[in-house]
Amino acid sequence: MRRVATIALALIALGASGVGAYQLAPSPTDRPAHWREIAWPFPRDGWPAGRAFRCVGACEGAELYVRAKLGFCNCDRGVADDDEVDRVTDLDLISPRFAATAPGEKVGVGEMHGRARQYDLDMADGTRRVAIGIALSRRCDLLVAVAQGAREAMAVRSVALEFLETQEMKSWMTAALDGR
Amino acid sequence: MISRVQLAACLVLFVSSTSVHAQKQQVIGAPPEASNMKLVGNSDLQARSAYQPTIHHQGDRWIAYIGHHGGTDDVPAPLNPMTGQAEPNGTSIVDVTDPAHPKYLRHLPGQEGKYESGGAQMVRVCDGKSLPKGDPNAVYMLRTFGSEAHEIWNVADPANPVLVTRIAGLKDTHKNWWECDTGTAYLVSGAPDWRTRRMTQVYDLSDPAHPQKIRDFGLPGQEPGATGAVPTELHGPISTGPAGNRVFFGYGTNKGGILQIVDREKLLNGPKEPTPDNLRYPEISRLPMSAFNGAHTTFPMLDMPVAEFAEDRDGKTRDIVMIVDEAILNECGEARQMVWFADVTTEARPMMISSYTVPEASGQFCQRGGRFGSHSSNESMAPVYYKKMAFIAFFNAGVRALDIRDPYHPKEVGYFIPSITSATDKRCIPIEGGERCKVAIQTNNVETDDRGYIYIVDRANTGMHVLELTGPARAVAGLPKN
Repeated sequence: MRRVATIALALIALGASGVGAYQLAPSPTDRPAHWREIAWPFPRDGWPAGRAFRCVGACEGAELYVRAKLGFCNCDRGVADDDEVDRVTDLDLISPRFAATAPGEKVGVGEMHGRARQYDLDMADGTRRVAIGIALSRRCDLLVAVAQGAREAMAVRSVALEFLETQEMKSWMTAALDGR
Repeated sequence: MISRVQLAACLVLFVSSTSVHAQKQQVIGAPPEASNMKLVGNSDLQARSAYQPTIHHQGDRWIAYIGHHGGTDDVPAPLNPMTGQAEPNGTSIVDVTDPAHPKYLRHLPGQEGKYESGGAQMVRVCDGKSLPKGDPNAVYMLRTFGSEAHEIWNVADPANPVLVTRIAGLKDTHKNWWECDTGTAYLVSGAPDWRTRRMTQVYDLSDPAHPQKIRDFGLPGQEPGATGAVPTELHGPISTGPAGNRVFFGYGTNKGGILQIVDREKLLNGPKEPTPDNLRYPEISRLPMSAFNGAHTTFPMLDMPVAEFAEDRDGKTRDIVMIVDEAILNECGEARQMVWFADVTTEARPMMISSYTVPEASGQFCQRGGRFGSHSSNESMAPVYYKKMAFIAFFNAGVRALDIRDPYHPKEVGYFIPSITSATDKRCIPIEGGERCKVAIQTNNVETDDRGYIYIVDRANTGMHVLELTGPARAVAGLPKN
């Protein structure tokens, strides 16, 4: 009888400590955002593949796709309006069914300027995602990025732009626009 | 350790390879490169970047109207020596009655702006006497005015054009088509509320002084209020008029091209509100191209007899559309842009049947500088060349003459690459820490006249060259020996 009680107490203690350990461990979304590179997930199209990233941490599960589109921009006007963001970003690779949820805004990354706009995406599996389309110009060339996730759009936009501003990404984007 | 012999061999190889490249760079003073084509005359077009020439027979004269891009960073508004003024690029009007001695008549300034953002790229010309409600004494020139408007001028006196009307308020313009017998015009426009830079505005310009809008047209998804993916933007249409009852629309430049075959009567008289259903209503079929290629020019050649099929019980003649892509990146920075032939005889199932490109190695064109690849073809349907020969502007490879009598097996029979001059502008590519520039011919567009002369114009400011065929190429067109 005493043995049974001892085992029961031990199990309760172990269980309680397990629950405590679980509750004390930081949630993935509490950790700082970190983008881990993944393979370009889309089939070949008219533009060479770019780079793709998945977020761990604060933007857990969000994905970011970045690539250069050389010669795809009006050399003088740059990214002129929101229609151009709809047209040139790679939203259609994720889902052809997307709708803007707000007017776009001017954004800049390094010396490039353009616009960003947020969208709802209706996915093939019936789920809905949020996305940010970003189009930046350098002379006649474009740098486009799309970030998509299940969370609040402005949060995804913020971490995506922050990542594009890193020196590593700015160096890569310059090389991509140079055709290197 | 490398031996002296190996070192010497390496040096010889290096020197010979660099000298080959050097030979392929054009130099001022070198003769043009040509085969079965020769220079008849030229005009410097005031060193303005040229997009497209149209040659019009008016009275007893032959007049060339040349549309220009905007200016360059270095020279935003070149000097017009006839006025002594710096003028933004617009339209050059040149008398080519004597093709050996073109006479520059007038520069008509266009929209201020550089490159694609200014100028007056596109020109079409119709006689007033052929338009149903035109002034029979007038000759009308339809031109784009930069990206913001279309204009019609009376050029009966080509040295003194008079503005007739203007269709403004657009965000872009491009490669229009105008039926001179009906007045129906397919204007490549950017209506402000559409989701694409370029779509079609169909107008009745039978009375050029009073344009009547018929409808807006584009691919479903481009219309105002649509959501989702935006289809490839329009480049330009070509209509076969009421007799052929077809309009062939080309979408794309160097990517995601589409040939769209449209029933003209349904387009003009069908429901006009730009809903997806109404936009689909006049469409007969589409031929989607590779994502690597666009459709700059869609030139129809219907009911072509094909000698190889002459003994066949069915399909002796074929309806062919020649599709020309446009190269846009310098020094081969993209997939090759070239020429395609589509058999559209069974309209619901159009099919690519052949292609043509200049062999790169024949001139080391990827290393010459500027663009290499196709841009456009002649669009004259005059009997002298129609369904027999096509001329393709190929940027740094000049103009190429193709024997297309068997469109399943097009064959190059001649070419001409003009010499560069001191006016020829540089073309640059980015390199680490800056850019590297080269100077090369950039033959942008080509047109022919009813006499058989071939007119090519240069995007890099080298002007216009008037050419004629020589040797066996003349026989292809049935021209007498010269």
